[in-house]
Amino acid sequence: MPNRVAIVGIGQTYHKSKRPDVSQPEMVAEAVRAALADAQLSIQDVEAVFSANMETFEAIYLPDHGMAAEVGAFGKPGFKVNTGGTTGGSVVAEGFYMVASGLFDIAMVIGFEKQDCGDTTAAITAAVTPIWGKGAATGAIGEFAKQALSYIETSGATEEHAAMIRLKADRNACRNPYAHLKLGLKSVDEILQSAYLVWPLRILDFCPQSCGACALIFASEQRAKKITKKPVWIADVEVVHQEPFRAGVFGDPTGKETYTQHVACERLYKRNGISNPRKDIDMAEIYEPSNWEEMNLYEHFHFCEKGEGWKLIEKGITEIEGEFPVNCSGGVIATNPIGATPVIRVAEAALQIRGDAGEHQAPKDIKTAIATALGGPNWTVLVLLKRSL
Amino acid sequence: MAKASSKKKAEEKKPEYIHVTFNRPRQYSWSTGRYLGHFYAEAKENKRIVGNRCPKCKDIWLPPTPVCPKCKVDMGWDWAELPQTGEVYQYTYLVMPLWDPHYGEKWANPYPSAIILLDNGVFYRHRLEETDKDKLRAGIRVQAVWKEDYEERGHGMADILYFKTIDEQEAKRCLQ
Repeated sequence: MPNRVAIVGIGQTYHKSKRPDVSQPEMVAEAVRAALADAQLSIQDVEAVFSANMETFEAIYLPDHGMAAEVGAFGKPGFKVNTGGTTGGSVVAEGFYMVASGLFDIAMVIGFEKQDCGDTTAAITAAVTPIWGKGAATGAIGEFAKQALSYIETSGATEEHAAMIRLKADRNACRNPYAHLKLGLKSVDEILQSAYLVWPLRILDFCPQSCGACALIFASEQRAKKITKKPVWIADVEVVHQEPFRAGVFGDPTGKETYTQHVACERLYKRNGISNPRKDIDMAEIYEPSNWEEMNLYEHFHFCEKGEGWKLIEKGITEIEGEFPVNCSGGVIATNPIGATPVIRVAEAALQIRGDAGEHQAPKDIKTAIATALGGPNWTVLVLLKRSL
Repeated sequence: MAKASSKKKAEEKKPEYIHVTFNRPRQYSWSTGRYLGHFYAEAKENKRIVGNRCPKCKDIWLPPTPVCPKCKVDMGWDWAELPQTGEVYQYTYLVMPLWDPHYGEKWANPYPSAIILLDNGVFYRHRLEETDKDKLRAGIRVQAVWKEDYEERGHGMADILYFKTIDEQEAKRCLQ
């Protein structure tokens, strides 16, 4: 049996398109200091530091090397991970494994991205190898445009439903002091008037490029109970990768491209006795690069039946005041510092469990939450959080 | 005195300095390996799309792979020629510019990219000839168009220029 692991410190930066006022290490240190302050710990208490960043997105190699001093990693064990969009989920899994194994009592995980430095889309197209797939790469936007088209064709969802999801995200983001895009959107019509980025994705249908960082401090059971009165327990973590960069089909009927969400949910739900996720879990923070993908993910995570994702927003079920709130933070469509994004999902879900989310705290009592990460060639990381084990 | 002697030494034997110029494109070189190399050779020599078949589950994999991702067994050397016709399964139509991450060139624009379901049920990702968005939809029949010049081929999937829209009757002729 693994040791129990709790989140005892949460810190994030505010998010913006550009942060010319700080270097990348300085920006990351803001999140680290915030997490330490939240846990009321000194950096001396942290035994190991693990970080996550989309290497080359900032057009630099080994971005973690320049920041060992600023984030307190100097001379300590730890390393950086990069698994594509799931990077931040992978570092949470990594920190969990390390503390659960008993190797460390207190470890810190950090996700960060300073996208004003590089060219994210060029870096993403370089993921398609020059010997296979180059010339047919479309960047993240093209991929999610394909997903949206396929969702329109198969589910019966309309652009109005996508706009309702966007409106929900913006309303929540406007209540979150750390969110990037706070547009004050008033109506579905306003969203339907925004220009197409790549048909059928409008500019408002896709996530921004944000600069920001998020740090979490994990502690073993014994230490956690001494550090805080409100530990958030990591009940379980599931990671599913798949064969990367084949056709990249959304919903491959041949089954060659695994729906990693399905595999991940099957394992995680079974291990934790979850038969009806919408009832057994109180809220979700999901990685939705677009509003269309959010509806798709509702289905993959079994929050509803197949082809009915859009009905959840139509009925207001996933609104912050709804029966099953999704992305009270405003989500990825409002804030996307890629390497940090899945760490923020876990952080925001943990804040909801602690009851510390402030203006964007869901009105219902959140005892159990799920945080998800999506990325690379449709990989999945799931983190299940609980107030008590 | 020391300076003079080192100068004399330099004349005797030239040091092996490495000279780097930055005013020309990067020269990259990637290896295909044995399996993808066979795909490249078939494309260049015979204008064929080939995948390899798993000895256990009998699924055909494209790009070819040395190990079956599902069964985790060695694939051996069992090759299958794939049909060059199929239908557009999913597509996107990019109007924003994309840049080649290695050489900095701007890619063609607008740019329709599709996942094509080849007639034997294998997916292939490629670009489409049709650049009129209103003529694109899932389910249209397409066929591979190859670079005809042998000397220009040798770039794997880029040996196919694009997939062009065809009608059903033409598709039947192609299959015969």
